[in-house]
Amino acid sequence: MRSTTATLRAAFRDAIAQRGAFWSQVGAMVVNDIVWVAFWLIFFHRVGRLRGWDSHRILLLFAILTTSAGLGLGLLSNCRRIGQMAAEGDLDAMLALPVPTLGHLLVRRVDTVNLGDFAFGVVLFAIVGARRPSEVGIYVFGVGASVLIFTGFLVLTGSIAFYAGRSQVGDLGLHAILLLSSYPANVFTGAAKALLYTAVPAAFVAAVPSHLLVSFSLGEAAVLAGAAAVFPLAGWAAFSAGLRRYTSGSLWTRA
Amino acid sequence: MRRALPVAGLTAARRALSRQSDLVVSFGFYVIVVGVLSALWRAAAESHHGSIAGYSGTALTWYIAASEAATVALNVRMIEYIGQDISGGAVAVEMLRPAPVVLVRLASEAGQGVARVIPLAGLGAAMSTLVAGGPPSLLGATLALPALGLAVVCNLAMQHAVAAAAFWTRDARSSWFLYQKFVFVLGGMLLPLQILPGWLQHVAFSLPFMAMSYVPARLASGHVEPLLLAVQLGWLVVAVAAAVAMFGAGQRRLQVVGG
Repeated sequence: MRSTTATLRAAFRDAIAQRGAFWSQVGAMVVNDIVWVAFWLIFFHRVGRLRGWDSHRILLLFAILTTSAGLGLGLLSNCRRIGQMAAEGDLDAMLALPVPTLGHLLVRRVDTVNLGDFAFGVVLFAIVGARRPSEVGIYVFGVGASVLIFTGFLVLTGSIAFYAGRSQVGDLGLHAILLLSSYPANVFTGAAKALLYTAVPAAFVAAVPSHLLVSFSLGEAAVLAGAAAVFPLAGWAAFSAGLRRYTSGSLWTRA
Repeated sequence: MRRALPVAGLTAARRALSRQSDLVVSFGFYVIVVGVLSALWRAAAESHHGSIAGYSGTALTWYIAASEAATVALNVRMIEYIGQDISGGAVAVEMLRPAPVVLVRLASEAGQGVARVIPLAGLGAAMSTLVAGGPPSLLGATLALPALGLAVVCNLAMQHAVAAAAFWTRDARSSWFLYQKFVFVLGGMLLPLQILPGWLQHVAFSLPFMAMSYVPARLASGHVEPLLLAVQLGWLVVAVAAAVAMFGAGQRRLQVVGG
């Protein structure tokens, strides 16, 4: 645990070493998020309520999504690169270290751009959601579960490269979960909706936590906690089993 | 030079079609994004008695299929990559060729973009027909095809003009983010421009981004307005002229250390 914390601290210092680039990237992401908020405000201003969603509810969803995606893709940024690293033999250096490979890999690199997402999400929640201490507690629980599901899913899809060689499933998985979790889940019906709660767990990343903020129920919170246990475990199992099949690229590494 | 540009375009088109893994990702992403956005807009139209801002659910589905094809066909981070080529010195090597750097680059990227947008448009048409029904107007859908090509080239030229700022700033890492957001909202990629508030509509219709997404989408959604193609051509001339001027000025002051 101490080595993981030390690695994360070093990665963070490395990421913020160039202050100008750091702030410009954080700022660009914040502007990006503001544009999305503007889109949703325009949408709901024109459309009104849509299947139980309004501008307040979508802003809560967006606060949770940006906070958790910012943490997952910012502090654990290698979770999106596992497929590429496995296919290109980029894991060599980590295998020689006396630390758990997956944990070290995940905290080895910090992506500054996504820290802008994190900051935006916290500020947005403070503006639209943090009215009672209980809401702050639900938000922290929802974000924690969301980060676990999001990261577990990306590790799972990235690990397919251990079995299939150079695979695009990891890239597609990232696009799919980010995109699908940024829209109201009940826009979808039938099989598409079922998909969001199973194979691509986008509904658990933002829609379910935001629903808990609006109308908390123990049953729904338990389901979210269950998903937050299943996906990281599945990701860890797929990565660990895949690592046994890994063959070196004889590279010393960009990880 | 007359032969260099078509050769660059054709070679790049073949290269784009041969990279099957890239195609799988962009087609997969396209299917997801069109599925999500069109479902959202169909639900919005349904909640407004079947039509919103003059678009039916079917029209909105065809709109999104075309607007997304025009943007997914291009590399989203192109401005960043052009900036890296400028600040890293790759452009200096390209200046040794007996043809203008920016025109060769544009021809090459246009070859790739058009090669991708054609199958994407086919995929979008199939998806739209499957989930919402056939095109609202066959003539409109036919006009949308050349509009898609013009949208891709117009977008490319403007991205080169913006990225050329790296000759002065040495860094285009963040500007692609902001540029894409202009295309998303003011270009009409996420929503028809008629949805925007009145003052913002005026702004959007007077900017070049509408030529990069809104025009093919408007035509594909059944609004037969051939004049839009002329508007696109006008913006294309402006964008190419801006890219040529920016690269010309930038190349004159380019200094590369080492090599």
